[in-house]
Amino acid sequence: MNPPGAFGLLVRINALQTWRRFSMAWQHSKLWVGTMLLAAVGYTALSFWLFYRGLKFIETFPGLGTLLTERLLFLLFAILFVLLLLSSLIISYTNLFKNRETTFLFSLPIPRIVIFRWKFIESTLLASWAFLLLIAPLLAAYGLTRHVPWHFYAVTVALVGLFIVLPSVLGAWAAIALARLMDRRSFQIGILLLALAALAGLAFYFKPEPFSDESLETRVLSVLDRMLVRTRFAQYPLLPSYWMSSAVLNWTEKALVSSAFFAAVLLSNVLLFGFLSLVYSGNIFYDAASAVNSRGGLLSGWKRKARAGQPNQNLHDASFLERSVARIPRILPDQRALIVKDLRIFWRDTTQWGQTFVLFGLLGAYIINLRQFSTQLSNPFWINLVAFLNLGACSLNLATLTTRFVFPQFSLEGKRVWVVGLAPLGLVRAVKTKFYLAFGLSLCLTLGLICLSCHMLNMELSRMFFFGCAITAMTFTLNGLATGLGALYPNFREENPSKIVSGFGGTFCLILSFLYILGSIVLLALGSPWGARGLRSPEMIMLGVGGFVLFSIAVGLWPLVAGLKRVARFEQI
Amino acid sequence: MIELIELVKKFGDFTAVNGISLTVEKGEFFAVLGPNAAGKTTSIKMLTGLIKPTSGSARIAGFDVQTQPLEARRRLAYVPDFPFLYDKLTPAEFFRFTGQLFQMDNARIKANAESLSGRFNLEPYLGKAIEGLSHGTRQRVAIVSALLHDPEVFILDEPMVGLDPHHARVLKDVLKEKSTGGMTIFISTHQLSVAEEMADRIGIIHHGKLIAVGTRDELRQQSGGEGALEQTFLTLTAVEANLIAERPQPKA
Repeated sequence: MNPPGAFGLLVRINALQTWRRFSMAWQHSKLWVGTMLLAAVGYTALSFWLFYRGLKFIETFPGLGTLLTERLLFLLFAILFVLLLLSSLIISYTNLFKNRETTFLFSLPIPRIVIFRWKFIESTLLASWAFLLLIAPLLAAYGLTRHVPWHFYAVTVALVGLFIVLPSVLGAWAAIALARLMDRRSFQIGILLLALAALAGLAFYFKPEPFSDESLETRVLSVLDRMLVRTRFAQYPLLPSYWMSSAVLNWTEKALVSSAFFAAVLLSNVLLFGFLSLVYSGNIFYDAASAVNSRGGLLSGWKRKARAGQPNQNLHDASFLERSVARIPRILPDQRALIVKDLRIFWRDTTQWGQTFVLFGLLGAYIINLRQFSTQLSNPFWINLVAFLNLGACSLNLATLTTRFVFPQFSLEGKRVWVVGLAPLGLVRAVKTKFYLAFGLSLCLTLGLICLSCHMLNMELSRMFFFGCAITAMTFTLNGLATGLGALYPNFREENPSKIVSGFGGTFCLILSFLYILGSIVLLALGSPWGARGLRSPEMIMLGVGGFVLFSIAVGLWPLVAGLKRVARFEQI
Repeated sequence: MIELIELVKKFGDFTAVNGISLTVEKGEFFAVLGPNAAGKTTSIKMLTGLIKPTSGSARIAGFDVQTQPLEARRRLAYVPDFPFLYDKLTPAEFFRFTGQLFQMDNARIKANAESLSGRFNLEPYLGKAIEGLSHGTRQRVAIVSALLHDPEVFILDEPMVGLDPHHARVLKDVLKEKSTGGMTIFISTHQLSVAEEMADRIGIIHHGKLIAVGTRDELRQQSGGEGALEQTFLTLTAVEANLIAERPQPKA
């Protein structure tokens, strides 16, 4: 017999924990909570305004506005379904198998299925809150442009609530299957191959079609028709996103019976998969958890067999990584050891390289495809605008990564202070080495992408040099800011880097990084010698570029120096 | 009360636990010793149902931990070497939570929590958030919450780590009292003095095998030596290590 209320107890205790977390955050730092709220409200308002203006613009296309809006909605839900699925897979894996609460609950008289139910609901909430934040302003903007009655919003909320269940169930099952079959290394390689295959597939499917200027001007309908054919996959009737989009669109059109039909299809699937998941997954989940706690999956045994009988080389031979780092000149052995350690941790942490790969991979795929537009981009204004937008996108990607991975570095090293802090290397040199490593690695990506962007836009060498210098300075600043603030706002209690980032320092770092990027792009655009109306005056160039340099020093170098001083004081205590 | 029957756990080709069979009677205080990576924690994880054995079975109070997990866990309490606690809760809230999970009524939870908190000097901390407590205090909170429902079997993995000498003494006294009262205690430790002082019987696990089991005197006889448990332990594990070294190794 199940202990009565075990699930209720888990919900209650975790809700209490969450509430305490918020109330303690409010008590400790009203500034942080205020900043977070302001950022959330600002983001919602800005995205609502952008969506509203965008949808209004699309509506102005005579005879095509509604069709394009509908297709956009189908596409949006289809892509969000895939994103939710991936998000659920990763969060479910962590929450079900790498979570100490799960292990604790397994030792208590709680049925396995109840533990799974609780972890499933927790994972769903964690995986989908950002999705809800993203979609709410869009649906509000859509409703306003289509002048829908109030009940549209209520129905949409219910439909979205149903919609998020399906990717969560599939994500949780995929996580269980992966945990059962794969160890960390197999998982990494599998995800990498899957991502590469997905990118290649997308690049092939969405391969831009070259149009002549003439066809763009005279055969708009033909061009649009081909674009609509390419995106028709989003209207495949067996996709849950299709049921969701159709229910929303039909409700907007007041075709309530059709809307109810698609809502019923969605509901029946949610009930079926929800039932299978919440009633029958307990023992499968326990088997997978046992496999994970038994150090490896089914595939890991094969590797051991392949290695069986071979002498253990771990202690004797320098790895390829160590030999490679040893070739870098003017690096002392202790710094080399720290670099090798950080690179190993980077590779072994799927989240770090996975996010880097996804963010810069997508940007790279987009920039490579710029060549398809280069014949249309003959106007200097558009070339300039696209180049600056690329600079902004590249820096925004970098800011996300520096905040997420560079900022918590000092806190994490402080936790392991007995290794690095007490070594003759010293904390100040350790932090400097980490900064140079992060700067060097990220510069390879950002400078490479910006040079590629300039090349694809057929820019001359002098302009490539200008943008190259700009991204180098921005990469230095963003890394300096994250390293410096990480040292100024350390958190030695947490071992989880994502929790370190979610504190005041991490939030401050992210917001400051975004503001810096915005300010820098404006200053660089003002100071760029190549204006829309020809070359700019030297005074203007001096003002813009000088302002950018001073701004970069203030935002990047100053926190870095202050952070290093703080580290030096920390070491003397 | 605790039965391990031909318990085997393999991680790929590596055998972490190799056919351990053992019975610990009701009210017995059993200590398991062994070098690092001998298979003690893996055995405990199988015993508590956290991982599945490759073969063999484990029983708690007559209930198989794999096929009758709920019945087994209702009679079991387990404190791992690094226990999980909800950081934002207070110890008092955590005790209520665990008590309710074991279907205890509020009056019994209150009475047991008061009594045990008094024994472990936790009263000043009952209303404070767990995240602010020291390692030793957190360890005491975990022990009190485990004992709250009066388990029939109490399994502890390195319970003395982080405890100051005073509270280590309190824990030993409480465990002895509980054992005398009929609770079966199964403790894994590296502190030979704890096993020597407290245990009715001691088992030594080495390379995944239970190489010796018995009272302190019986172990001394098996080792063929005199003196403290430390000497006995070192002799037995060294003998076993030499035996393994003398076995023909597979050719590379």
